[in-house]
Amino acid sequence: MKGSLIVTVGGLFTTIQDRGRFGYRKFGVPVSGAMDKEAYKWANRLLGQSENTPVIEMTQKGGEFLFNTDAVISITGADMSPRINGDLISTNKVHYITEGDYLEFDSPEKGYRTYIGILGEWSLKKVMSSFSTYTLGEFGGLHGELLDVGDKISWEERKPENVLEEIPKECIPYYSSKLTVEFIAGPEWDWLTKEEQEKFLSTPFKVNSRSNRMGIRLDMEEPLSIPNRDMKSSGVIPGIIQLPPNGKPIILMQDGQTVGGYPRIGKVLDIYLGRVAQVPPGGIVRFMQSKK
Amino acid sequence: MESKLLQFNGVSWSVFRMGESAWLIKPQIDEALLDCIHKTNSLLERSEIPQLVDVIPAYDSLTLIFNSSSFNIFQISDIKSQLYNPETSLYEIPVCYNLGLDWDEMEQKTMLKKEEIISVHSSKEYTIAMTGFLPGFVFLEGLDEQISVSRKENPRIKVPSGSIGIGGNQTGIYSIESPGGWQIIGRTPELFFDVNQNPPIKFKAGDKVRFQQITNNEFLKLTSNER
Repeated sequence: MKGSLIVTVGGLFTTIQDRGRFGYRKFGVPVSGAMDKEAYKWANRLLGQSENTPVIEMTQKGGEFLFNTDAVISITGADMSPRINGDLISTNKVHYITEGDYLEFDSPEKGYRTYIGILGEWSLKKVMSSFSTYTLGEFGGLHGELLDVGDKISWEERKPENVLEEIPKECIPYYSSKLTVEFIAGPEWDWLTKEEQEKFLSTPFKVNSRSNRMGIRLDMEEPLSIPNRDMKSSGVIPGIIQLPPNGKPIILMQDGQTVGGYPRIGKVLDIYLGRVAQVPPGGIVRFMQSKK
Repeated sequence: MESKLLQFNGVSWSVFRMGESAWLIKPQIDEALLDCIHKTNSLLERSEIPQLVDVIPAYDSLTLIFNSSSFNIFQISDIKSQLYNPETSLYEIPVCYNLGLDWDEMEQKTMLKKEEIISVHSSKEYTIAMTGFLPGFVFLEGLDEQISVSRKENPRIKVPSGSIGIGGNQTGIYSIESPGGWQIIGRTPELFFDVNQNPPIKFKAGDKVRFQQITNNEFLKLTSNER
C-alpha cells in the first residue's frame, strides 16, 4: 500500500535529508545530510527502521502537512508545538496518523530544527547515492528545492515492528541557547598568537542570523586577529572552524563547501555539531579545547 | 597541529589532524607539487581502502576522510607506491568571450585590450588543479601573468552556469549557477556538471584544457543542442 502526504505550508526552510552524500567531495559536492544527526537518528530509530531512511528537516518555523492516507510518523528535535487537527501532540514520540489528518508546526521556544520521520520506504530517487537536498546545487530531495505548497511525499507502507513509541526520558536532549562545545586544534591553530588563542577560548560568540546549512556565523565585540599569510585552497569538512580576515569565525556545517582558503583554527567535535545546529540566531557559543 | 612525518608514495608528508576521523596531508616537496598530489590521489583511489569515504585533492594538500576514528593515518604508508602515470585527457572548451561580464575592469587592470586578453587566454593550455569548492567548479592552473586580475571587491550573488572566470593567478569554470567573486570573461555553452551521470563531471584533476573562441551565434546554437 502506498502512503502519501501533501505539503500545505512549506515553513521557513524545510528539506528532505538523510545521513548525507559520501564519496563525491572530490567533485566539489558537499556531504549535506541532517544538521542534527542525533535527532535525525532518533526519528528513524523510534520507527524501528533503517537509519538511512530520509526525514523532513524543518528550520525555525515548521510546515503544515495533509495526510492522504494513514501513516506512522515520529517527531524529534526542537519542540515546534506540533498539532494534529488542532490538538497539541508531543515531540520525541511516535504518532499514528489517520487519513485526512492535518499536521502543523509553529516555531520552537528552544532549539531550532525539527525532524519528521515516516514509517515506510520513500518513493524517491537518490541523487549521487543520497536523498539529501542540496539547495544551492538544486539537486537531491524532491526536486532539489525547499519543500513547498503542493509537494507530495509518498512511500511504500511498512508494518510497524520494533516501534519504540517514545525517546527514553534520559535521552531527550535539552536545547539551550547557550552552548559550550569541545573542539580540537585545526591545521592553522598555531597561526593565532597565544593571546588570540586565549581570547578565542574565553569569548562568548553570538550566532549571527545569516547562519544556514552551509555554516554557523559567529559575532563578537572584538574580532580575533590572524596574520594574513598566503594559503592555498584546501579541504574542509563539517565542524571546521574557519577564521576569515574579518576575524569572525564560521563553523562549517553539512552544506559547507568542499575546499576553503581561510585558516582552519579548529574542528568542533562531531558529538557537538547537532547541538550547534540547534542554537538559534542570537544564541551563545563558547569553545573549550578537547583533552583528546 | 602538525605531528610527525608520514612516508607515502615515495614522498614525505606533513600530517595535520582535521577532525576525529579526517586528516590533512601535505607533501614536503617544492617541485611538481600538483603532479604529486594527482598521482597520490590516483594511488589512493586504486588502493580502495574500505574505511576511506572521501578524498579532497587540492593545490598543496590532500584531505582524507574516514568513516572511523580508529583508522590511523600512518597505516597508509604500507601502501606500495607504484610507477604509474594516470591517463590524462585534453579537452577543448568552446567559450563565447562576448558574454563576459567584467571586460571594463579586465581592460583597466591589465592595461590590455579585450581582444589581446582573449588571445592570451585562448592560446594557453591549462591543467585542472582541482574541483570544488562548489559542485563542478573547476580550478585551472597555467594562467598567463599578463591577464591575472584580482577578485572583484563585491562578489556577485549569482554567476551564470558555464561562466569562465579569472581570480588572481587562476582561471576557472563555474559549472553551476552560484555566488562568486571572480572576474567573468566569457561563457561556455557546455554543461559539465550533471548529477545524473557517474561521475557527475567528466574532468579529473590532472586533465588538460584549452579554450576555443566562439561567436554569440555559435553559443546560441550549441546551447540549444545541449539543453
